[in-house]
Amino acid sequence: MRLTLRSDWANRQLQLGLLHMASFLVPRQERAEWRREWRSELWHVRQACSGSGALGSRDDQRANGFCLGAFEDALWLRRSGKPHVVWFARMEGTPARCLLVMAGMLAASYAVAVLLPGVRAERSLWPSKVNPNAVLIQQAGYSGSMPTVTPDEFRAWNERRQKYFDSLAYYRVAQEQESASGGSPDGASHAASTWSVAHSSENLFESLGLTVQFAEPRSQAGGSYDVWLSESAWKRLFGADPHVVGTEVRLGGRSVRIAGVAPDAALRLPGAVDAWLLEQDATREAKSAGYAVGRLNAEGQGELWSSCIRITADGPGDSKQDLMGVLVESSRPGTGALYGFAALLALLSLPAITAVSLGEYSANPQKTSWGRKLYRWSFLAAKVALLTPMVYFAALDLAYGFTSFGRDHAIEIQLAASFSMCLFGMRWVLKDQRRRCPVCLRCVAHPAQVGQASRTFLAWNGTEMMCMGGHTLLHVPSLPTSWFSSQRWLYLDPSWAFLFASSATTMDHEAIGGFFST
Amino acid sequence: MALEARLTHTAALILQALDAGYVYGFSIMETTGLPSGTVYPALRRLEQNDLIRSQWEKQSTADEEQRPARKYYKLTAAGTTTLEASRRRYPLLERLIPSGEAKTI
Repeated sequence: MRLTLRSDWANRQLQLGLLHMASFLVPRQERAEWRREWRSELWHVRQACSGSGALGSRDDQRANGFCLGAFEDALWLRRSGKPHVVWFARMEGTPARCLLVMAGMLAASYAVAVLLPGVRAERSLWPSKVNPNAVLIQQAGYSGSMPTVTPDEFRAWNERRQKYFDSLAYYRVAQEQESASGGSPDGASHAASTWSVAHSSENLFESLGLTVQFAEPRSQAGGSYDVWLSESAWKRLFGADPHVVGTEVRLGGRSVRIAGVAPDAALRLPGAVDAWLLEQDATREAKSAGYAVGRLNAEGQGELWSSCIRITADGPGDSKQDLMGVLVESSRPGTGALYGFAALLALLSLPAITAVSLGEYSANPQKTSWGRKLYRWSFLAAKVALLTPMVYFAALDLAYGFTSFGRDHAIEIQLAASFSMCLFGMRWVLKDQRRRCPVCLRCVAHPAQVGQASRTFLAWNGTEMMCMGGHTLLHVPSLPTSWFSSQRWLYLDPSWAFLFASSATTMDHEAIGGFFST
Repeated sequence: MALEARLTHTAALILQALDAGYVYGFSIMETTGLPSGTVYPALRRLEQNDLIRSQWEKQSTADEEQRPARKYYKLTAAGTTTLEASRRRYPLLERLIPSGEAKTI
């Protein structure tokens, strides 16, 4: 008995909790009265269910169902209190609402593309492509980010005539302590830190085909060195402050001047470099191994095989070395080209999943004007025009938004996402167009099943839908037959107008909740 | 008159229930078999369109019967006219809920 009472109390609390939660949807000024009414009604519901005893499980379910209805009531009150929601609801089925929703989705997908760091990084690389003939040279058998070229080996190659390369550059990465020397133009200062500094040949950026932002003429006065910050280090350490150029810092015990910012495309080279220190001879005084970068000439490009080139080089003395050159910028297609390919595939596949026709338009006794036809086709074109960039940005969001998958999978994700979204997006575009009245472009409504499926060969059966403006009637066969293969439009003549005399008002009320009928 | 002709069957049923003397939300639910999520929003809409009006019962009456006070709904003159028109449109309405079936409170 005690257990039953406890359960009854718990259920009552649950039901009151549901009402309380629903009440937060009600506009504040009406909330107190709304709660009072629903609590009172709940009391009567529970009384009616229980009689005089405690509620059984079925009674509780009934009372719970009653409380869930409070959410619909609260939502209605909320919507009716917001004119803009009613205005938007009134647009139900109109072409303007369709285009507005699509434009909203396009804006959302673009906004996500701008905000996600992965997508932003990919997009920032578009204007600063690395020279497609630049290769990273490593000892054969090594891969990844391990430095394998010693300064002696590089000097030995560089001094000989090159068969495959126009130019060769070298860099090695060292961790060096940085401290501001107080020469900041705007007086900004930051805490001392350790930087990954790449000591590199002067021709490194030239070999990579990179342009350096904010570059200032190199000053050799006083033997000061110039460093170029990587884009990410510039943002991380200096908050992307453009005035940092010209600042003197002490790096590894010597005074250097920040001369500019190198684009992040350079960071595709291994080493996770914060700053590039260009030196006349980067191999001088160097003992540790580093990286060699070369730019392929025409002969070298001919030797490329699947983004790689195998080289046998003369090392120090009479030694021979097997080397492997890998393209710095892999020959992957751009995101635009990839999207174009996926969209083309989707268009070719479209007939496999939906009919590409827009349905039969029977002869209209009122003669549809050219303006109306143009309006219809313009609407279709507008939907396609909005869908195209929306899918492009949405696919980019999926492919590059989640960097944990790695860039290698991004191409596959973008391709698959673009293809499927284009395919089903175009399917929706056609399906939506087929459900719109050819006169006013509103979606047809009030579907009615006509005929019986068992009598397919004796009589027509399918669905009939009506334009709320009273312009047309749409017949869609349940089973396409040789005499009725696709949907047909029937244009209603003015004698039907009495049925739709106050269609505009009716639609307004329907938008509010389907309460009034024609 | 345009509004009268465009009342749905559900709305007409609720008006008929009110006319029959079922004057608060739960009793309308019980009579019509409609769920709470339909009845209460419909009552709000009917009130918004001045077809019905609501009034809280006196607290003293509720206290005497040891229950919370109810919110009662009543047809307005416009509501009565609309109901008459709806009865012509839906002839079975009166058979579903005969007028004066419930004791008017």
